[in-house]
Amino acid sequence: MLVSILFSYIATTAFAVLFNAPKRTLLPAGLIGTVGWAVYLLMRDYLSYSSPLSIFCGTVALSLMSELFARIYKQPVTVFAIPGIVPLVPGLPIYQGMYYMMMNAYSIGMEKLIKASLEAGAISLGILLVSGLFRIFKVRRDRNFVYSRIKEQ
Amino acid sequence: MTEKVMAMSQEEVLNIALTAGKILLTSGAETYRVEDTIIRLCAWRKMDYVKVFVTPTAIIIGDEKAHGFTCMTRVTARTTNLSLISAVSEMSYSFGKWSLGYKETKLFLEELRKLPVPSKYVTSFASGIAAACFAVMLGGNFADFGAAFLTGFAAMLAVKQLAVLRITSFWENALAGMIIAFVALTCCQLNSDCTQEKIIVGGIMPFLPGVSFTNGLRDFMAGDLLSGNSRIAEAFLFAASLAVGIAVVLRIWLA
Repeated sequence: MLVSILFSYIATTAFAVLFNAPKRTLLPAGLIGTVGWAVYLLMRDYLSYSSPLSIFCGTVALSLMSELFARIYKQPVTVFAIPGIVPLVPGLPIYQGMYYMMMNAYSIGMEKLIKASLEAGAISLGILLVSGLFRIFKVRRDRNFVYSRIKEQ
Repeated sequence: MTEKVMAMSQEEVLNIALTAGKILLTSGAETYRVEDTIIRLCAWRKMDYVKVFVTPTAIIIGDEKAHGFTCMTRVTARTTNLSLISAVSEMSYSFGKWSLGYKETKLFLEELRKLPVPSKYVTSFASGIAAACFAVMLGGNFADFGAAFLTGFAAMLAVKQLAVLRITSFWENALAGMIIAFVALTCCQLNSDCTQEKIIVGGIMPFLPGVSFTNGLRDFMAGDLLSGNSRIAEAFLFAASLAVGIAVVLRIWLA
């Protein structure tokens, strides 16, 4: 468990390099992925929740973290959220679904693909929840900015 | 405070906004970020009537007046470059205290675009490390780590080498899938400690369209339905092409 959390840090940092993130955000970006993966593992293995629910909670945790880090480091949220989300992407069920479909085991294949789509849906719900919440503040601030510029005229 | 910006003509500010928007869109920013940045840049020049329409393939800037101006640009290739997104966002926030004139600003944006990206080998190495770490996160052993590193490295290097040919992204991903499956199967043949599933899943991780998917959802949340739909469709297309590549090799190998 600890090993896999450690490796999730390295993997997320490698992804940040792959996406050419600004150099000073590489290490914090790795932390985001670690938080998401750790919450997911804890929920799934220790509290034995279902895997989509665990992924949902992991995504919410990492999105909140990246909104926080975006404000600390004065960077767009994307810089942290995009590499951070990667460990939770359901690569295994997608591959298994494709593999069983190829082997003519359609029912198992479909099961895996539905699992993959549920997990992807859980990620999207997590992102939508947090980015929707934070958008309320952002829109208000932007509107104030544009209005204040017009009033000066 | 904003003399330099106010000294520029409206056309010049629009031109700058268009270039900045194009850089953002080609670097893989969300639609609303491109629109907000353009509106913010124009607001510094007190142009509050500017309207922007952005899709993943085009930017259109116009205004609401009857005899207004319009400019647009097309975007054909999109990559992910978070450094550029960060730099252009920062510029749009500090545009009021801008000390550069129009020509210098254009030059500044041109130089941003020419900033060095990590070389092929650095990218491939990062891809390999990511793949290897994912193999371990799925419960793989040391042999899986090495094999997944090889798959991630080889696939990314091949895709980057072939980028000059400008083959479409669909075939790029299918090729990546084929290389991943081939290297993984060869490693399993050579070393009995390797697990085929973990290596392949590790290897496909750098190619799965997580960015398109995430950005598509954020677009939906911001109300950009058109962009959201097209980005998510793109994500499904890429995932399918990856699967096609892997399936072809597995099928031939196992037959």
